[in-house]
Amino acid sequence: MNNLQIHKAGIASSVQDSGRVGTLSIGIPPSGAMDRPALMSGQHQLGHQHDEAAIEMAYADFAATLTEAHDVVVTGAPVQLRINQQACRSEGVHHIEAGQTLEVKATHEGIYSYLHLSGGIMTTPQLDSRSTSPREGIGGLDGGFLKDGDIVPLGASDKAVGAADPQLTIKNPTTVLELRFVAGFQFDDFADEAIKGLLAEEFTVTAKANRMGVTLNGEGLHSGIAALYSEATCYGAIQVPPDGNPIILLNDRQTVGGYPKPGAVISSDCLRLAQSRPGQRVRFAVCSPEEADRIGWLEQHYLETRLRDRP
Amino acid sequence: MDFELGPAGEAAMRLVFTGAPQPALTRALLKIENQANQRFGSTLTDSVIGYTTLTLFFSASALERDRTEAWLREQAEAIALDDSDPEHSAADVVLPVLYHPSVAPDLEWLADDRSLSIDDVIALHSDATYFAYATGFAPGFCYLGTLPAALRTPRLDTPRAKVPAGAVAIADAQTAVYPCESPGGWRLIGACPEPLFNLGNTPPTRLSVGATVRFEPINEADFRALGGVIA
Repeated sequence: MNNLQIHKAGIASSVQDSGRVGTLSIGIPPSGAMDRPALMSGQHQLGHQHDEAAIEMAYADFAATLTEAHDVVVTGAPVQLRINQQACRSEGVHHIEAGQTLEVKATHEGIYSYLHLSGGIMTTPQLDSRSTSPREGIGGLDGGFLKDGDIVPLGASDKAVGAADPQLTIKNPTTVLELRFVAGFQFDDFADEAIKGLLAEEFTVTAKANRMGVTLNGEGLHSGIAALYSEATCYGAIQVPPDGNPIILLNDRQTVGGYPKPGAVISSDCLRLAQSRPGQRVRFAVCSPEEADRIGWLEQHYLETRLRDRP
Repeated sequence: MDFELGPAGEAAMRLVFTGAPQPALTRALLKIENQANQRFGSTLTDSVIGYTTLTLFFSASALERDRTEAWLREQAEAIALDDSDPEHSAADVVLPVLYHPSVAPDLEWLADDRSLSIDDVIALHSDATYFAYATGFAPGFCYLGTLPAALRTPRLDTPRAKVPAGAVAIADAQTAVYPCESPGGWRLIGACPEPLFNLGNTPPTRLSVGATVRFEPINEADFRALGGVIA
């Protein structure tokens, strides 16, 4: 059996592919890799063509042994990589022999890194995806975050290594990250002061950040909106609870919510936010729905052609 | 009925009827959702009905906002309301419930608070037929209304860290069954031994928006026979 035996899982590691489509209506979030370009990059470097899942590691502190030889690649937030206690460059494809140990440690930048293994991860898909939704206990390995001692089944490794090194690393600006958003939902009902604050103020990424969403800290946005009827949320929705600190909803969000929302951050900027550490300064800027659709489409097109066109 | 149309972020559209929630409004949303599925096929990747809203999610490259908005406007303007009262119709789904303090930590409190007997509370909760307005919060969780006025109660100030699967709960004018163990702030007045969410079923959820639901009181022996567990 091809297995990955985990010695040290780290704080929030889970099996993720590109997530589920069409499950919002039954109350299940899409989940999937928080940094989709990083996931795709790894899939292509290993010649994977079937949305093979990777192990997503938040602030990676991961160690595991392979029972058979596999090719591996780590993408996303930069890491220090050690194979059999030997430091090696973190980029590119590495061959690991049976019995060898792999250690992945976060560096100073970004949050989510991805460990891809040739042959792919062979946990049982649920609702057409291997992505883990920990709150719902669906997907991944037993529906949860990976733990020390877990054994992850892998597919047989073939030699079909794909394109070399399209590292699609998201570089965050060191100063202020701009979050472009499509105004909508209760935008027109928000108090003028709150909208002014949203557009003029600078916010900071807090430590309350995980796969469900990222809480920002600012001067406080007071919507003046009383209770709402529960309605659909969406990727990037800017949810403003009574304490005035906006939460940007991400992959593992609840599918409905009752807090007021002045709009939703575009997916391109959500990826950058997901990889931002606490303390990152952010600013909001309005983006027309048409422009948002265009950027979303362009980015997807760019990723796919850039990866596909390589030898 | 008055309505508004707008974006719900990238590649998504939102229709909201501006009236108060009512079954006729939910049925209108269901009808438009159905029409949208036929009109857009696989480019419509998902849709979610809330109390007064329908949110349509499209694949990134497929949404033509102007045309979609015009089409949605036509449907919303043309919709005829079905005013039949579901609270006087036969229930689509009947859920067995054990109403007993051993599985319902707020049952005695509620009866005391309203100067009712526990049997009164059970009769009030199980005589009504409820309508499913929305799903969400957790897989298979369904917001049911309308709770008889005598039972309405606010949420707990501090939500419980763990509400067991099957807990029958009330909050404001709503009632629901927790499909899986989760945190929760609603008051717990019973337990349903039947699973409401099972990935092996198609669809995996027992309740869906637009369904009518009734609760059937059962005794402890029946509860156990149906797979219920008393902690």
